[in-house]
Amino acid sequence: MAASGQVMSFRSSITIIASPRPRVGKTLLARLLTDFHLHESRSIAAFDLNAGEQTLAQFLPEKTTIATIRDINGQMALFDRLIADEDTTKVIDLGHESFESFFTVADQIGFVEEARRRSVAVAILFVVTPDQTSVEGYRRLRDRFARATLAPVHNEIFGPAQYRDKYPLTSGGPVMVRLPALAPGLRRYIETPPFSFAGSYMGDAPGIALDAHIELQRWLRRIYLEFRELDLRILLADLQSSIQLGS
Amino acid sequence: MARPAVILVGADKGGVGKTTVARTLIDYFGAHQTPIRAFDTEAPRGTLKRFHPEVTEVVDVTSVSDQMKIFDTLGSAEAKVTVIDVRAGLLSPTLQALTEIGFLESAKKGQITFAVFHILGPSIASLEEIAETARVVGDANYFLVKNFINNTTFFEWDPATYNSYFKKIKGAEEITIPKLNEMACEQVEVASVPFVSFVGNKGAKGEAANYSFVLRGYVRHWLGNVWGEFDRVKLVDLVSPKMESNVRQVAG
Repeated sequence: MAASGQVMSFRSSITIIASPRPRVGKTLLARLLTDFHLHESRSIAAFDLNAGEQTLAQFLPEKTTIATIRDINGQMALFDRLIADEDTTKVIDLGHESFESFFTVADQIGFVEEARRRSVAVAILFVVTPDQTSVEGYRRLRDRFARATLAPVHNEIFGPAQYRDKYPLTSGGPVMVRLPALAPGLRRYIETPPFSFAGSYMGDAPGIALDAHIELQRWLRRIYLEFRELDLRILLADLQSSIQLGS
Repeated sequence: MARPAVILVGADKGGVGKTTVARTLIDYFGAHQTPIRAFDTEAPRGTLKRFHPEVTEVVDVTSVSDQMKIFDTLGSAEAKVTVIDVRAGLLSPTLQALTEIGFLESAKKGQITFAVFHILGPSIASLEEIAETARVVGDANYFLVKNFINNTTFFEWDPATYNSYFKKIKGAEEITIPKLNEMACEQVEVASVPFVSFVGNKGAKGEAANYSFVLRGYVRHWLGNVWGEFDRVKLVDLVSPKMESNVRQVAG
């Protein structure tokens, strides 16, 4: 919000892709979102907080910083960079083992409030699963980070159930983001690094048959549509919040 | 007009964090827009003065001339609250001196508000201080402060033993200072600024600084908890009953 109390939209966003569960599609979502921002010609920085694996860093080595919050030096390196350079959009692939500690530190240091002061919107994309740990984790994020946009993500590869009763949406906030399932035969193309969904890479990638390429593009368009919708919802939530604060 | 208040911060042992607690008190009253002055008895070093030079004077609390400087000016000083950071080993002698000059008698009559912040170290030896100071403290508002700021270990006290000492002081209250991340603590020391200035990313003269956002966040969170303890014991009501309490916003 502008210092005058007038409505001002955010300059960029920080999106945290999270779940307390492993292997729910967080890194794929982080890759897609990073490539989406690149596709939209935005300045982008991605952060990989996965102990050991660092898959995001393998797929997008030029855009990804490997980060840790295990010690104070790692926390400073990550959070101080996240709030600096307000014109760069940031995506965080938050490994399940860092879920609790990341949000505890973020809460203690007032991360979301500081980002808002700098006109940076914070969004949390939470990949939903039916287990109680995830449901409880989502509820606690809602309570702790009221000023962030919290959006549940339904990864359709796990089936049609969206667990809407377990993951209530914020009033006026984003709807559930859908990550469409990719046909099993096409997964091998995108699961071997290096691979980027951005720019002309897909067209130039060797060994992708034309029909597979068309199918991948169709899948990608559906996801990008979801991300555009999410962008608008974040903007709307930001405007609503600014109006409430200004009034 | 509110009667003057004197807060004595002390311990009979060194290195238990007296000055840290005094610093949080100065910041706390500053946030409540309460005029404050402080006396640092660590002559000639003056650690408290290093952090709060504007309001702090270094004195020798055992000398009569400095006692006059502190206590004879209570009614006339602009500051409503006087904080005295008592050097290690001087708490009991200071309380004794206050008895002798009739200060404690004035406090008893309600002419002066008097509070003691007794900072406890982690060892069993410091419990002996409680018994010793209880003897002279009389009706002062007595706060036993467990300072965990630099300490990850539990206090090595047997609860039953501690309680037996604790109960010797009528109306004594406990205050707990939580742990602060070591690097955050160290960086505030290096910066030599009040905690609120560090949180607000300001240098000693109010100029913009460039402290880590993470460390500032940790200090803000910690200071909020410390002030929460001061709110809990109604410190503001104690020194000035009409003042608005519960100011918790550390910095913008």
